[in-house]
Amino acid sequence: MVGARRGIGRYYDVNGWLFVAPALGLIALFMVYPIAWSLWMSFQSGRGMTMKFAGFANIVRLWNDPVFIKALTNTMTYFVVQVPIMILLALILASLLNNPRLVGRGLFRTAIFLPCVSSLVAYSVLFKGMFATDGIVNSTLQAIGLAASPIPWLTHPFWAKVLVILAITWRWTGYNMIFYLAALQNIDKSIYEVARIDGVPAWARFTHITIPLLKPVILFTTVISTIGTLQLFDEVYNLTEGKGGPSNATLTLSLYIYNLTFRFMPNLGYAATVSYVIVVLVALLAFVQFYAARERDR
Amino acid sequence: MDIQARAYLPRIAGLALAGASFLGVTAAQAKEITIWCWDPNFNVAIMKEAGARYTKTHPDVTFNIVDFAKLDVEQKLQTGLSSGTADALPDIVLIEDYGAQKYLQSFPGAFAPLSGTVDYSGFAPYKVELMTLDGQVYGMPFDSGVTGLYYRKDYLEAAGFKPEDMQDLTWDRFIEIGKQVEEKTGKKMMGLDPNDAGLVRIIMQSAGQWYFDKEGKPNIANNAALKAALETIGKIMQANIYKPANGWSDWVGTFTSGDVATVVTGVWITGTVKAQPDQSGNWGVAPIPALSIDGATHASNLGGSSWYVLESSEEKAEAIDFLNEIYAKDIDFYQKILQDRGAVGSLLAARGGAAYEAADPFFGGEKVWQNFSDWLAKVPSVNYGIFTNEADLAVTAQLPAVTQGTPVDEVLQAIEAEVSAQIQ
Repeated sequence: MVGARRGIGRYYDVNGWLFVAPALGLIALFMVYPIAWSLWMSFQSGRGMTMKFAGFANIVRLWNDPVFIKALTNTMTYFVVQVPIMILLALILASLLNNPRLVGRGLFRTAIFLPCVSSLVAYSVLFKGMFATDGIVNSTLQAIGLAASPIPWLTHPFWAKVLVILAITWRWTGYNMIFYLAALQNIDKSIYEVARIDGVPAWARFTHITIPLLKPVILFTTVISTIGTLQLFDEVYNLTEGKGGPSNATLTLSLYIYNLTFRFMPNLGYAATVSYVIVVLVALLAFVQFYAARERDR
Repeated sequence: MDIQARAYLPRIAGLALAGASFLGVTAAQAKEITIWCWDPNFNVAIMKEAGARYTKTHPDVTFNIVDFAKLDVEQKLQTGLSSGTADALPDIVLIEDYGAQKYLQSFPGAFAPLSGTVDYSGFAPYKVELMTLDGQVYGMPFDSGVTGLYYRKDYLEAAGFKPEDMQDLTWDRFIEIGKQVEEKTGKKMMGLDPNDAGLVRIIMQSAGQWYFDKEGKPNIANNAALKAALETIGKIMQANIYKPANGWSDWVGTFTSGDVATVVTGVWITGTVKAQPDQSGNWGVAPIPALSIDGATHASNLGGSSWYVLESSEEKAEAIDFLNEIYAKDIDFYQKILQDRGAVGSLLAARGGAAYEAADPFFGGEKVWQNFSDWLAKVPSVNYGIFTNEADLAVTAQLPAVTQGTPVDEVLQAIEAEVSAQIQ
């Protein structure tokens, strides 16, 4: 028995393969095949069902497509601005709420995590109403004197971006915070105790103990948030009625793919090419993040 | 346990398939026609009325009218056609006129040609033209989006304008009136959604032009009507006689709430305008203002849609016969949907009916329907092409530049560049 399992022989254990075959078959059918097919599609172009092989024409088209460039710029802006803000905010909130002497911290934790439970569409629609020209946010800002005239949240290119960033930060900060809270439970309290005895101030304890010890979790949440931001769709779709307006200022790559497939003259090949841009971007950014977070002292 | 379940799976699937095909057979015998459309107060209700009329003479045919949001109908249709399997598709689907050619050209063979059956000479020519491809006509023309200028008589009277003063305006005069209305009554002249190019399309088509020429090539940088339309929007914004709206319902709210003095849009809005009984008698309808360029008219179109039969439909013959019996021949049906739903059909013979002659008390006894059908015959025919959605988004993307005072010629260049990159 033991001898049969040694070496290359165990790779040919028919019973083992039979057990995993159904799962592998399903993965091949519903994962590998569509991915391979979409790659093949990205080399075709045409209107609807009349697709022809086009070589690298779609990739050339990317360079000359101002809307694609705009969508790419917007998506990268969201990523560069929103992810660091959210990660930092989640870290600070997590370490504040980890303080055992804080009264009502269960309540605060729940309150900050609660947005994650809400449906993407529901909260987007709600935000749209709250941030309307005569919505509750503008009337509040005017009442307390922070804004002289209503802020054009949904009709000005700059403020529309701000609104999208606000919305996704509200929705996802609590989600990331939960990861940090869980990881903080695993940090030995004696480390902090020693630091306190040695007279290390609170801020230095945060930057020199908490953050380095949370590094694997920070890396994980950063990669997850990067992917999420690059695939941003629901919020923008619902806030702008699927248009990515005003002036394409909130258009994301995912929304552009949707428009290319379902709103515009359907060009499935070009849409597949744009989706591979997201794939390449996610892979590159994840690599950079892993590289930046590697263990240097080993 | 798991393995056992898997072993049974083919058998269960087989049973399910047998069940499904059995259901399919019974459905075929009962001749159920499935129809997709999107507005419960408008085309859904109208299709139910049409179905009821047809069932009276053909008791073996029943109707399953499915009500989606318009965006969902388009997405489901596009997904179904792209997938290449027709199982999930209906027998008849409603398609907005702007998108008709896109579907006809992208999915050749997906829709049934009706040229042999339907007599198209009785319909408004612009409707027939937009559903023609390679000499074949594919749809059943339905409602028209002929446009009008709806105005609040009470507000305009307070500003010193009588209904006669609202007839056959130019856009410059319209803006002038708007300034005075705001001065005297504090009301804005109109609601305007800066993310919706509807008004641009109305003004452009009123002068007989479109984003594309007759061959479907972009017609933007040298399009005098589009240029004048953008200049007009720029003037309206500079004069600040509009109430900004974000999205459709917000825009509808600008006039249902009584905040604005006029609405320029398609006739299908009539039902929504009349849904405010407290405003009865305060509204009037005039032809839309015209541009001051060659070929300018007071008639245009916004939206409107038509019925299409799927080639793969099992009830194709019944579906075509149904559309032909009701929508191409039943004059009385058109009177009913006009009275009940405010639907101005594109069957020209229907204009002779009693309902079109009737005066509407909501509009102070004006014969609004006769007016609309007169304007319908004057709508300039244009080629919507297959890229209207793309061009529309390019225009909305550049609208802020117009209001910030960028020269319109530069804006047109930018729109043309964006559209050209999109349409390949």
